[in-house]
Amino acid sequence: MTSSPRPANLFFLPRVLGQRLCVYHGPASDKAPLAALVFVHACGEEMNKSRHMVALQARALSRAGCAVLTIDLLGCGDSSGDLQDASWSDWLADIEAACNWMTEHLPQTPIWLWGQRAGALLASAVAQRRTRPTHLLLWQPLVSGKPQVQQLLRMKAAAGLGAGMPAGEAITDIKQALAQGGAVEIGGYTWPAALMQALESAMLERPVAPGRVAWIEVSNRPDPSLAPTSSKLLETWRGLGAEVDSRAVRGPAFWQTTELEVAPELLSATVSAVLQAPGLTA
Amino acid sequence: MQQINVFAELLAVLDEVLSLGGRSAAFDRQTPLLGAVPELDSMAVVTLIGGLEERFGITVDDDDIDGATFASVGTLADFVAAKLNT
Repeated sequence: MTSSPRPANLFFLPRVLGQRLCVYHGPASDKAPLAALVFVHACGEEMNKSRHMVALQARALSRAGCAVLTIDLLGCGDSSGDLQDASWSDWLADIEAACNWMTEHLPQTPIWLWGQRAGALLASAVAQRRTRPTHLLLWQPLVSGKPQVQQLLRMKAAAGLGAGMPAGEAITDIKQALAQGGAVEIGGYTWPAALMQALESAMLERPVAPGRVAWIEVSNRPDPSLAPTSSKLLETWRGLGAEVDSRAVRGPAFWQTTELEVAPELLSATVSAVLQAPGLTA
Repeated sequence: MQQINVFAELLAVLDEVLSLGGRSAAFDRQTPLLGAVPELDSMAVVTLIGGLEERFGITVDDDDIDGATFASVGTLADFVAAKLNT
């Protein structure tokens, strides 16, 4: 059955330090939704560059009979506060609040945490501490926050290239400032030291049974495959009994391309992965 | 890896990162990059570095991130070739 998706409902969820912008996409049909997904966005510019893909995906999932809730975390997007006010635990609490909203709204529906890039780190941390089974849908997940922090520090250094500031020096300065507990401005966002440190030490948490994992990466190679770090981690997880559906699809790295790009194969692979997960009732 | 392959692979990375849609085929060693290509902002530079690391299996150190390295396609190609030969 293909009905046109219902319009998305935009609302503000009252939270600590203000409110968070949320967008809810209900399932297109009048039947009970197959899955309730809470989207956990990526960092900074990656979040902005991914918005259109996330919207397309939410609508595709809605057409397929799923419910989707997106939330802008504290200090991000259109939610209250500046990044400077945010902590890692604030973000985890925001995500849990979003899950609770979904559960109150759709008590019988399996909950999925859909995390993209650094959002996957947060999603897996929340899934681990929830008492109800929580499935994970991971888009291009970061296995650790370290590369994200390295990227951010490099961005700061790259911004100074025009002014002739040597990058090595710039990065050393920033690391010193962070070690002293100061905040760092990078690309218009002010990162508090504690948040940067939490991101750097974050690791993707092992899934908790009976939660399932759908892991999808996008690659522009003709023969796409998962990143070596991903394959290695998944081997460990599967060895411990985790049920993981992992896929690599062809498409552009839309979260970081200069122009807005679309990855249609990711859209269909994601719907397929969510619908194929055993245990979902039709 | 021979010089000519580095160049072709480099153009492929530039094409992806800057969403050039094949226009990198018109680039030569003299084509200016940093400061000349408006799409090459801080984030694009970092994405480019990551792309080079992944494509060529090299590690770009903090001290390598230099305005001169990214000045032109030629300077960048030389940088990558030098990394591959160390």
